[in-house]
Amino acid sequence: MDPLRQDEFDSQACGSIAPKAKPCPRPKPGEAAGGCSFDGAQITLLPIMDAAHLVHGPIACAGNSWESRGALSSGPSLSQYGFATDLTDSDIIFGGEKKLKDSIDYIAGRFAPPAIFVYSTCVTALIGEDMDAVCKEAADRIGIPVIPVNSPGFVGSKNLGNRLAGDALLQYVIGTGEPEPETDLGVNLIGEYNIAGEMWDIEKLMNSAGIAVTSRITGDARYKEITWAHRARVNMVVCSRALLGLAKEMEARYGIPYFEGSFYGAKETTYSLRQMAYLMNDREMERRVDRLTEREEARLSQELRPYRKLLRGKRAVLYTGGVKSWSVISALKELGVQVVGVGTNKSTEDDVRRIADRVGDDTEYIPEGGASRMIKTVRERKADIMIAGGRNMYVAMKEQIPFIDINQERHKAYAGYEGLLRLAKELTYSLTNPIWKLAASPAPWDKEAPPYDR
Amino acid sequence: MTVNRRKKPASVNPMKIGQSLGAVLALQGCYRAMPLIHGSQGCSAFPKALLTRHFREPIALQTSALQEMDVIFDANRNLEEALNLVLSKHRPDIIGIIGTELTDVAGVDYQNMLKTYKRERNMRGGLAFSVVLPDFRGSLESGFSSTVEAMIDEMIQQVGHRGTRSMNTRQITLLPGSFLTPADVMELKEIISSFGFEVIALPDISTSLSGHLLTGFSPLTRGGVPLDSMLQSLQSGLTIAVGGSMERPARRLHNAIGTPYKVFEGAMGLKATDELLHFLHQISGEPVPLRYCWQRENLLDSMLDAHFQFAGMSVLAALEPDHLYSVSGWLEELGVEQKALITSFETPLIAGMEREVWVGDLDDAEVLGKGADLWISNSHGIAGAQRTGTAFMPAGFPVWNELGAYMSVSVGYRGAMEWSNKAGNLLMQREAGHRESSVRHR
Repeated sequence: MDPLRQDEFDSQACGSIAPKAKPCPRPKPGEAAGGCSFDGAQITLLPIMDAAHLVHGPIACAGNSWESRGALSSGPSLSQYGFATDLTDSDIIFGGEKKLKDSIDYIAGRFAPPAIFVYSTCVTALIGEDMDAVCKEAADRIGIPVIPVNSPGFVGSKNLGNRLAGDALLQYVIGTGEPEPETDLGVNLIGEYNIAGEMWDIEKLMNSAGIAVTSRITGDARYKEITWAHRARVNMVVCSRALLGLAKEMEARYGIPYFEGSFYGAKETTYSLRQMAYLMNDREMERRVDRLTEREEARLSQELRPYRKLLRGKRAVLYTGGVKSWSVISALKELGVQVVGVGTNKSTEDDVRRIADRVGDDTEYIPEGGASRMIKTVRERKADIMIAGGRNMYVAMKEQIPFIDINQERHKAYAGYEGLLRLAKELTYSLTNPIWKLAASPAPWDKEAPPYDR
Repeated sequence: MTVNRRKKPASVNPMKIGQSLGAVLALQGCYRAMPLIHGSQGCSAFPKALLTRHFREPIALQTSALQEMDVIFDANRNLEEALNLVLSKHRPDIIGIIGTELTDVAGVDYQNMLKTYKRERNMRGGLAFSVVLPDFRGSLESGFSSTVEAMIDEMIQQVGHRGTRSMNTRQITLLPGSFLTPADVMELKEIISSFGFEVIALPDISTSLSGHLLTGFSPLTRGGVPLDSMLQSLQSGLTIAVGGSMERPARRLHNAIGTPYKVFEGAMGLKATDELLHFLHQISGEPVPLRYCWQRENLLDSMLDAHFQFAGMSVLAALEPDHLYSVSGWLEELGVEQKALITSFETPLIAGMEREVWVGDLDDAEVLGKGADLWISNSHGIAGAQRTGTAFMPAGFPVWNELGAYMSVSVGYRGAMEWSNKAGNLLMQREAGHRESSVRHR
């Protein structure tokens, strides 16, 4: 593993291995928001549902964060277990490597997972635990892959953590296995984490067009399928900021073509499916995709009609990271919702360009500034609704602004054609809820005119 | 009796919560406060997300956002930058700097740095203190009580050890433990004030995390005990601490300025409430208000109604130490078997308990509590309860699978009644479910 040197990362843009000019911004002390690299690495790897995920460090890194991410599983649930080495004072002083080794053995013996991911944390990185060596030794001894994920919180942002997790997959997982003979090879979905079951909607669509999913990286994934990801014929990068580097590297190593796409909104969904068929170089498949998308779009526009009527002309402020910053705009536009403000603090230059392609000139860009800045934009631009992550939900609600949760803790799936319909419904329910009127009207005794002039 | 530990190298499904989260919670109960975690970004992002999920409220919190190089060269540069920004932009009344395991292991001396900072900037009027809370010791509870202690220390320092302090015997300082919900704190304040006392709760989450619609966004806490009330609390004639962990802050007040104190270790159930009311009756000379006499009758009656439900049932509880002690006392009164009691770390209160207690995690709960009918723990326990076929009752922190959990009352007669009914209902539903499934499979 390369040393985790700050200056090396600064020379690279987030999400790509090729150097670019703009470095990951340094978080501002006293005004920083969002998770750390450790969080990012877990977001990427926890959806490998049958693997065990062991956090090597003091308790809070695991204790405060397990079961907080909304990636769903269709079967195994081992990744929902919280495993931690739970270091104490003496472990810190005398080293936690022995405890780590024992923990790996214990987990392997009791749960028999196909693989164990071991995450470093700030403290274990700081005291110089040789996690790579312990993992390698353990893997040789117990005969299952034990994968070190060197993404302690203090190396940087959540996005960097996504990327470091991608690096771990490239280094230790992808290319270590071969697909079963009867496996139908097709597309790798990269950076789709099955939040609220979105992956299932997407897979259903792909299957009806006859496109097979080779590996899910990593929504509702099984460890084994990622080992043979290098045999896929196409890579689709769903969340580009985080794992674009992975796709680029796979193109270089294995010659798999990739494209960046999204499943938010009917147009984007259609485009993504078409792109898959095109890159698979299969005429018959392209025809099937055309038929499917036509049918689905027609059905969708029928079902959307009542909601479109209500949503037309509504104004929204969107504050989310990465790929969703631009892809959700397309979805909203199809519903007739105008995006009057959009957060760009976690977007790459490419993302910002894509945002610019999709919004009008009067849309305000919110580069940073957190909650207060967001509220200000909502007020100034007379927005009807705010769409952002769960941490900001109650900030909006206290200000009595209708709110839709779009980030990884949410419980509603918005991907694909079904997802767009769901989004339309959610927006409508949120906007038409009686609570906004009730909360805005004062108590009867406050309404009464004063009995005399003061 | 005994405190046990199961032998296993890793923590599986931890129930322990980082100490720094307890500190953040304590500071939410102070008006216009800003907790500042001295650590990497995640050290604040996780507690913020978790507290938001539990209380369904925005949480005031900032971080010094340490990165690798900052830790190696000078972490305090970040802290200074954060302090400058927070002070100039938001002007909080109270700042709590919370040290993490990262700063602890790296050996960052932010306490001295804060002293210098305060001297150089001539900071007066506000309250700024620091507290060392690495995660490899204690849990939420110890983080909470240590922070209250540090806060009290700073208050005493600021006012000075003046001998001529005027004592107000009609004023009581309430130190509510970390396991009490905003509604609990509200109930305790009400009970005490019904005997004619002025109550200052320190901290007071009942006015900050109970849910209110204040407009005008502020990144600082928007409720809780204001600074002048906090300072005024030094004139109280008595300190009442609820929860064994709050004894230390109470003792600190006693040692520094001589305020006598009384600790109520348990706060749940008939006996604990009887003790509290009897004590208040004695020190105030006032009769116990009629509504509590009624509530006592109501509680006894509902316990009588429910006793068929609880007969022969067994319960496992996995909670923070003080909470576990409190809940165990209540379970005793219900006459149920306490199959397994599990807590996050050992405290003197736990060590002194007459029952067998295990220090461990929710995986231990699953093993030790096998065959129990009711499972009481935070929401992380849902999966384990499902696997073992146990009825699940969310309690403690965090609870995200139930609306209004943060407003449920457990103290006083009313709280005991609410909990008894809730537990009884869960057992009743479970029984009905069993009956149904046995019919289906005949």
